[in-house]
Amino acid sequence: MKMSPAASERYQPYALVAPTVAVLLSVAAYPVLATLWLSLHRLIIVFHDRRFVGLANYASLFGDGRFWSSLGNTCYFAGAAVPAELVLGLLLALLLDSAIRGRSALRAVVLLPWAAPTVISAKIWMYLFNPQSGPIGATVLHGVDWLGTPPYAMWAAILLDIWKTTPFVALLLLAGLQAIPTSVPEAAQVDGASTWRMLWQIKLPLIRRSIVVALLFRTLDAFRVFDSIYVLTQGGPANTTETLSIYTYKTLMKAGDFGYGSTLAVATFLSIVSISLLYLVALRSRIAERA
Amino acid sequence: MKRAANGLAAITVALLCLAPFAWQIFSSFQTELGRPSLRNYVAAFQGRPFGQIILNSLVVAAATAACCIAIGASAAFAIAKLEFKGGRALLGASLACSMFPPIATVSPLFLLLRRFGLQDELAGLILPYTTFALPLTIWVLTSFFREIPDELYSAAQVDGCTPFRAFRQIFLPLAGPGIATTAIMVFIFAWNEFIYALTFISSPEKRTIPVAISLFATGQKEPWHEIFAASTIVSVPLLIVTILFQRRIVSGLTAGAVKG
Amino acid sequence: MLAHRRRWLAAMSLLALGATACRDVGQADSRGQMRLVFKYQPLGPDPAPMRDLLADFERQHRNVEIATEQLPNDADSALQYFLTALEAGADFDVLVVDIIWVPMFARAGWIADLSQEFPAELIRGDFLAGAAEAAIVEGRVFAVPWYTDVGLLYYRTDLVPRAPRTYAELEQFAAEAHRKEPSVQGYLWQGRQYEGLVCNALEAIWGFGGTTETEQLRIDSPAARAGLGYLRSLLRGGVSPSSVQSASEEDSRRVFQSGKAVFMRNWPYAWNEAQAEDSPIRGRVGFAPLPTAKGEPGHGALGGWQLAVNARSPPARRAAATRLVAHLTSVQANLSLATAYGRRPARRAAYQDVSSLPSFDKALYPILQNARPRPLTPYYNLISDALQSEFSAAIVGIREPEQALRRAQQQINRLTAAVQ
Repeated sequence: MKMSPAASERYQPYALVAPTVAVLLSVAAYPVLATLWLSLHRLIIVFHDRRFVGLANYASLFGDGRFWSSLGNTCYFAGAAVPAELVLGLLLALLLDSAIRGRSALRAVVLLPWAAPTVISAKIWMYLFNPQSGPIGATVLHGVDWLGTPPYAMWAAILLDIWKTTPFVALLLLAGLQAIPTSVPEAAQVDGASTWRMLWQIKLPLIRRSIVVALLFRTLDAFRVFDSIYVLTQGGPANTTETLSIYTYKTLMKAGDFGYGSTLAVATFLSIVSISLLYLVALRSRIAERA
Repeated sequence: MKRAANGLAAITVALLCLAPFAWQIFSSFQTELGRPSLRNYVAAFQGRPFGQIILNSLVVAAATAACCIAIGASAAFAIAKLEFKGGRALLGASLACSMFPPIATVSPLFLLLRRFGLQDELAGLILPYTTFALPLTIWVLTSFFREIPDELYSAAQVDGCTPFRAFRQIFLPLAGPGIATTAIMVFIFAWNEFIYALTFISSPEKRTIPVAISLFATGQKEPWHEIFAASTIVSVPLLIVTILFQRRIVSGLTAGAVKG
Repeated sequence: MLAHRRRWLAAMSLLALGATACRDVGQADSRGQMRLVFKYQPLGPDPAPMRDLLADFERQHRNVEIATEQLPNDADSALQYFLTALEAGADFDVLVVDIIWVPMFARAGWIADLSQEFPAELIRGDFLAGAAEAAIVEGRVFAVPWYTDVGLLYYRTDLVPRAPRTYAELEQFAAEAHRKEPSVQGYLWQGRQYEGLVCNALEAIWGFGGTTETEQLRIDSPAARAGLGYLRSLLRGGVSPSSVQSASEEDSRRVFQSGKAVFMRNWPYAWNEAQAEDSPIRGRVGFAPLPTAKGEPGHGALGGWQLAVNARSPPARRAAATRLVAHLTSVQANLSLATAYGRRPARRAAYQDVSSLPSFDKALYPILQNARPRPLTPYYNLISDALQSEFSAAIVGIREPEQALRRAQQQINRLTAAVQ
């Protein structure tokens, strides 16, 4: 229940929000609007080809096989990585929340995969997957070159992402768990609640906001994934690990096609928007049920 | 029994997280042929102002985190606790900004920064970093403020507190865990960001760490061992910051604070 | 009142003078002092020789100060930076360009026409044929070759009798070496989906007698199908290990240098690494032109970088920038870069100098002369993208070479027709 401030203080919320709005409007709005505007043009900078074509780029999207396959790759990647990270992140957060020795050291150690530069981590994992000398590559699926063979290249990317980003989810959920007043689990224990019940019916609902935030932002980031996959495979072999971001990058920064590249960026944006709306609708109904 | 299981799980998790780095650290103390050597650590500082570069990254990351929290915390409080039009719209709009692939924003931002003379300035990095980390900041902090019971606010109102004061003196201190969490996330995002740092900064002494590391490869050879040494070196400040902040995450709400 | 006014005027004029004195960097002031900005990739771990080269220029031109700004070695990152900066109108003066970018940058109007200072006949006469052709677009010179590279075959002198001349010999020697030493792998090359794959594949296509006509951009030909089929057969037959499918130059070099392979296709830089003091294969490596189907020496893909002048560099600095380019591409500069950083000179004259050039570069000269550039067209980046994915598909076995080449040709036709 939100409180209404007194009439004289009605401006204060807007004052509190003003800096954020100012920053977003001045810095974020321009690139976003510029991208939207460019997506309505045909603009290949090397050839000085610039004309307004309206929605023609979007029409070409529908017939662009490479767009659909990169969208498919992105959905596959996000669909595998995000749920895994959420589940593992939750387990990790619960572990970090529990009373074990060396908890603070563990918390710092756990952040390392996520804190390390992506390029370095990707290089390390490239070694791990090396079919002749890597610990994973030479043992699991003996002799297959993970990064150079179609289904496995994507799995390698997914594994790297899970290793790298589960700490981020765990951190978010841990903060949520830490915010639960200690009186709640204590009361539940007095009532004789089992561990499972404690988790499922008491803790989870209390951190549902953190879960929503984690889910939203992880999906966002998974859909925009670029660095790790680019370093691992550059979208190969044969574009089988090419995600929307990699296709956008190649269109923008290699071919210099700023028109269609912007269209791809907007298409990525719209895909993410659709999925987020789906989440929010699904979760809202779930929450309404509970209430 | 549960303690033991948790302990075992903790060790497994720590191993899984650290194992890949074991190879990195191990290699960093070797020459390319497997002979032990500290040469890589020395080489990291030769021919480049590596200390300055680490400092640049620290400044940019810390400033970004500070700005994000300074700007975002007040907005999050307003959205979570005060009734006014546009709170939800702001959340949605900021989320929308986060949904854009960063690569599409590089060119327009480059033009924008040049127009305002911020090209090749660290401030020219802090500004876009803050902007694109604000959505996460606002969302996390809003969810935090929402957890804090409303009775606190109504109690403050009865005491004659303005929203400003309530925010500053009551809610901000209670949002410690949220702020610490956000600070770490934003810090790490700014610390590792590459595309903007590559495009907007050109002076060697103003470079940040990710770009500097990508500059280690001179010629076609990739000096892995040097790169690993450099990467290990830069993990140290990151670890320190993380350890400092994660203590703040620990201090959650106690029953006493809620009642008072 | 009047005195006050006079003082105010004086203050204002001082301010105005001060403001003009603090104009943007790079402009010549009343003393003629100017600042040139040179964007390049560091050539080696030791910055001293390059610094000396630039200091040399500053000594000869007392009014010029050179500011260097480094770019990452990764060509993709450098291209991304240039695309963004040049399109936005950045006005640095001298820049390095990859040999395949020149037609593209020239068409975009980003690099200046240097035909006046470096006439085409001069370029063709002074520099290696392939490098010179890559710098000339429609008869006008847009860049000056700085250093070159060519694809080579490396082989282990202790495991094979001599360099193989045909593909059949390559497989035969590799099999024999494997019998002698079961732990070694056969033939390492780069099959990852990136620019290096285009070099490897084109070399195989040329090895079957194919040509890549720039004007028509025909990639679907019998030779191309044979070339891709050959590469695929190397993997299927086990002559090349599966790691080749995701290997880049450094991956191949590391394995070869640790002694675990018989043959490697790579750039000349691998030689210095192989002959380094602590290299396990020191003294046991040889190099040769790539083998071909019929046995004539193969054409290696031409690599290397060139120097260009930014078209946006103001006329006041243009002359100095051009002189800097001339200085950096002079014979002396070529020789010092060869000894200090192991970069192959692009100037023919450098190879005639008996004493100063390292013997490796001298021995490399005939192979360099035989190097072939990749298609020289402003569309190169567009078609390279299509080629990379289709070549990768053929090599990994996702598609048959015929189908992959047909698809590649369709994409190339569509892309180049769309941009007219």
